[in-house]
Amino acid sequence: MHIKRVLLLVAIVSLMASFVIPRASAAAPYEAYNYDYYGDSAPLPAPYLPDVAITGKSLGIGDFKDPNDLFVTPESTTYILDSGNARIVVLDKDLKVERVIKTFKNNGKEDGFSAPEGLFVSDKHELYVADTENGRVVVLSDKGDLIRIISNPKSDILPADFKFVPLKVTVDQADRVFVVARGVFEGIMQFDDKNTFMGYVGTINVAPSIWDRLWKSLSTKAQKAQMQLFIPTEFSNVDIDRKGFVYATAIDISSDTPIKRLNPSGDDVLKRLGYWAVRGDVRFRMFGNNSGPSMFTDIKVIGGGMYVALDSNRARLFTYNDEGDLLYAFGGRGNQLGVFNTPVAVEQIGDKLAVLDRGKNNIVVFRTTKFGSLVRQATTEHYNGNDDVAVKLWGDVLRLNTNYEIAYLGIGKSLLMQKDNKKAMEYFKLGMSRKNYSVAYKRYRRDELKEQFGTFMTIVFTLIIAFILYRITRIVLRRRAVKREAGLS
Amino acid sequence: MKQDFLKFPLHLIVRPFDGFWDMKYEGKGKMKVSLLILLAVILTTILQKQFAGFLVNMVDPRSLNSLDDLEFTILPFLLFCVANWSITTLMEGEGKFKEIVMATGYALLPIVLINLPMTLISRFMTQEETAFYYLLNSIATVWFVILLFVGIMTVHQYTPAKTVLTMALTVIAMGFVVFIATLAFSLGSQIYWFIYDVYREIIFRT
Repeated sequence: MHIKRVLLLVAIVSLMASFVIPRASAAAPYEAYNYDYYGDSAPLPAPYLPDVAITGKSLGIGDFKDPNDLFVTPESTTYILDSGNARIVVLDKDLKVERVIKTFKNNGKEDGFSAPEGLFVSDKHELYVADTENGRVVVLSDKGDLIRIISNPKSDILPADFKFVPLKVTVDQADRVFVVARGVFEGIMQFDDKNTFMGYVGTINVAPSIWDRLWKSLSTKAQKAQMQLFIPTEFSNVDIDRKGFVYATAIDISSDTPIKRLNPSGDDVLKRLGYWAVRGDVRFRMFGNNSGPSMFTDIKVIGGGMYVALDSNRARLFTYNDEGDLLYAFGGRGNQLGVFNTPVAVEQIGDKLAVLDRGKNNIVVFRTTKFGSLVRQATTEHYNGNDDVAVKLWGDVLRLNTNYEIAYLGIGKSLLMQKDNKKAMEYFKLGMSRKNYSVAYKRYRRDELKEQFGTFMTIVFTLIIAFILYRITRIVLRRRAVKREAGLS
Repeated sequence: MKQDFLKFPLHLIVRPFDGFWDMKYEGKGKMKVSLLILLAVILTTILQKQFAGFLVNMVDPRSLNSLDDLEFTILPFLLFCVANWSITTLMEGEGKFKEIVMATGYALLPIVLINLPMTLISRFMTQEETAFYYLLNSIATVWFVILLFVGIMTVHQYTPAKTVLTMALTVIAMGFVVFIATLAFSLGSQIYWFIYDVYREIIFRT
């Protein structure tokens, strides 16, 4: 009877405790993963967890309507382009409304936006808005005063009836404006600070395959007319990094290079040294639900050589390091907090990540987990050349996830720098990098050979001498036997 | 002993015309030796997959399966012998089935002789030197094909042109055998499941 009571008490207390103790961490509504050397997706601890969803209502300014773009300055001021309501909402560091820009003075008259789709804030705190339906890019000052308007570009290379429909905009330190425009297949339009059109950058080359050519040569004129034209695809978004390189995404499902990093002369210089192409998912279904390759709608450079690309097809976020290794992918479609309906823009607030969802009319803020921030710090330290610090961090990452190949690579690279070739080989083997392993092994073998050369030669000479002695004794013995047989001795 | 297991096979692979002639007419070939070589091929394949150097070993360790290696070596071997025997019987070949098996078995020897040391050497190679690994492995394969060609030619007393033809036909015949076998297997399993279902129906009826 007594025992029963104690047991009951224990049961009650433990039941209470389960209410009192908060769960250690809320489970993410998605699975984070990475692709291993063999191309299988390997699960990871979640690098980010959803923190809070910001809606227009929660900000007290009425619901968002089809918000299309988001920008966060390095000072953590957030700009939301609320397209449906034709306004720009500015939030301060604490994500409280600072002000709302709805109109601006244009030649003394009140002017507004019409379904704007792109937003960028330059280092000089000038606001660039791609005012899509009005066919212009509006540049506003910090206070909301009009500075200039880019519209109706004139150039010999543009057709006479060219209609300028800007979608996305980005600006470099020299006030050159890069505009992704609708129906422009030649590349990203580039304007100087005097509003004149300078030309295209990042032209996508189109190369029909042999099969396409054969097919075309076999088809009739009527069939050819029905055929899909070989036109390059449009760019979908642009971002710019601290060094002035333009990162661009293109919705090109047949391409292995939907993400490009353009240098000032417009060439693609993105490093693609990882096991797999920088194209989001490398394994996907070809037909049916959730099929097809990733289609990127936004890209954000988040420092340390890393960039996040937003896949609109499966609503996932892919983070790459500067060498083109996938660090982690997470996200998905759904109704819970942390999964998306129609994600359109991704931004970084401090070390948090913000994703604008047009379908849900909200912004989801993600906070980094321990794993996520360790990977980030380690990558940044490695990028900045502080390998000693990076190795320590990579070690911590491995303690959280032993399957993380990039961590092994990171440690291996720094061990190689420290001339610890044998150990570096071990780590490169775990990181499945044959190229680096070979470099480490070559050095290791050279050192070993140098060290063991004396021993090796001694053994060789001893063997040769032993062999000669063996032959001589045999000959001598045989001669003696012959002599004895002949009865000479 | 030494004569059968070492001297003759090694002589055969460098002097194939001479060697295969001796195998057929001088009775120097041994079935035992031929099957032993086949076994050695399987063993070296397994060893290679397991122990070849990291730089050349592309095998996913999760997919290693020695039983697979066993059946994917023995089955094609037998398939080739049976198909070749079937074809050459129709094409006035003089070879017996036993001779075909022996010739094919002996022809595999270069693969063993090259793969085994290369497995060891590949552990001491850098990326640039792996070219030699691949080169020597290809040489082993080419050598095997040449030996097989000469072997079949000698065993059946064919002209080179006819040997090429029979080899091509053998490959087609192998395809046929695989097709028929798959068909038979599929039909057989359907019959099995049919009987099994009937049996279950009867069991559950009562």
